[in-house]
Amino acid sequence: MTATLAPEHTVTTTVPTPARPAVRPGAASPAALVAIEVRKSLSTRSGRALAAASALLAPTAALVVSAASDGTLGSVTGPIGVMGMLTGLVLLALGVLSTAGEWTHRTVQTTFLLTPRRGRVLAAKAVAVALLGAAFAAVSTALSVGVLALMEQGIVWDGAGQAVAAAVGAGTAFAVIGAGTGAALTNTPAALTGLYLVILGALPVVRTFEPEIGSKLDPAEAVLALAQGDAVARSVLVVAAWTVVALVAGAVVTRRRAVA
Amino acid sequence: MITVHGLTKQYGTRTVVDDVSFTLEPGTVTGFLGPNGAGKSTTMRMMTGLVPATSGTALVGGRPYVELPNPGAVVGTLLDASAVHPGRTGRAHLQLLAAAAGVPAARADEVLALVGLADAARRRVGGYSLGMRQRLGIAGALLADPPVLVFDEPANGLDPEGIRWMRDLLRGHAARGGTVLLSSHLLGEVEHTVDRLLVIGGGRIVADGSVVSLLGAEGTAVRATSPAAFAAALEAAGFAVQQGDDGALVVPGADPAAVGAVAAAGGHVLVDLRPVERALEDLFFSLTA
Repeated sequence: MTATLAPEHTVTTTVPTPARPAVRPGAASPAALVAIEVRKSLSTRSGRALAAASALLAPTAALVVSAASDGTLGSVTGPIGVMGMLTGLVLLALGVLSTAGEWTHRTVQTTFLLTPRRGRVLAAKAVAVALLGAAFAAVSTALSVGVLALMEQGIVWDGAGQAVAAAVGAGTAFAVIGAGTGAALTNTPAALTGLYLVILGALPVVRTFEPEIGSKLDPAEAVLALAQGDAVARSVLVVAAWTVVALVAGAVVTRRRAVA
Repeated sequence: MITVHGLTKQYGTRTVVDDVSFTLEPGTVTGFLGPNGAGKSTTMRMMTGLVPATSGTALVGGRPYVELPNPGAVVGTLLDASAVHPGRTGRAHLQLLAAAAGVPAARADEVLALVGLADAARRRVGGYSLGMRQRLGIAGALLADPPVLVFDEPANGLDPEGIRWMRDLLRGHAARGGTVLLSSHLLGEVEHTVDRLLVIGGGRIVADGSVVSLLGAEGTAVRATSPAAFAAALEAAGFAVQQGDDGALVVPGADPAAVGAVAAAGGHVLVDLRPVERALEDLFFSLTA
């Protein structure tokens, strides 16, 4: 370019034309798109706060509960499942922000201008939040396990491996469910409120009055069951169904919605 | 080259862009003029794949925008300066765009300096003024130094120095063989920047031509101490004379030298003598009313 606007309101025009920057000729690779989406999620204060909360909230809760409780917990699988669920609920918000946040702040415009194949963008977001979800859930679970090991004498460690896997898997899946739902609703408050109302409000009510139906719908109950090694196939199916439905709904809206 | 053919957008029964066609050639700056709601932004968004067209095509170098392998390398687009996450710094925002456009991250600092935002690079965009956001948007469009620039209302929020800078930038881009489409609802902003005007009103292109051809014949405005006598002298010399504002005489099609010569020959005392152009606003309203 040839013109420079100096900060002191002095306009200068430089004659030499700089060489064009090196520009990638083709589309960004899937790995590059995933890396961009990971950076996006962690480049805002809200994203970093959610990341920190997802890693630290559950171990902090474990610490407080262990310190305040006189009783013994019995098996470690239940507490790990609950802590994994708590972490998953935070990661749900991280996923929502990665997609609905772009619509809310209208940054989706530049995202789609530079990568107009919207399906590739959503796929990259899903992979990015899955990676972040798995990583933060792993950190959170490791810290929670550490707290339980230090604070809970005589706790039974049978099935701990499966419980840890369930907690990390829940973090991964919930982040993706958040991303899919955010993409489907394209509105951060609506997606967050809707998800939390359904998972924390509506489904517990259904579970109370229709336990059979509730257990087939509720991802929170599925995560707790998985952590304790109960109804494994059904629980995996429930979480997978939530993930697929959210992603498909997100893909349909992402593909069709005009960026006005 | 950009070729737009029969581009139409309907929302239900409402047609917001109606059969818009034009071609943008390299080396030109085209002004896309129209009042708010005329269809400028919708046309630009259809051109760049953000809004699906009801019918018609928009091709960039023979391909739809969405089929360009790396569109950021071909078209630099500024549609909405506020479409930035307020929590990111200007530098972080541009580095993300640089990664998506496939240019080195260091390019972010180069374009920040280019638009005069180097000092604000590490500040969050939420604290930027509208003019600073506009410059940040222009910086984003220039990251890959693309041959085509599509700017929607880029002068919004810019101060006069900024508008002059942008004019130099766009003229320089066209001089290097670039193609520029620049929209505005303020005609004075683009009058001295563009080679060609596309005027849109009610979703339809109502005028398409060079600035000179659309503004029509120039003339001369003149004030004399004895207007009636001088008007008679001008008419006697074969000029058509119209009564202008505040007692000025307007002589369409005449240059000031010819009018001055009539005054000198008749010994008329003049207090003002200047060329006039047909006001762009007049043209605009007559076309879009």
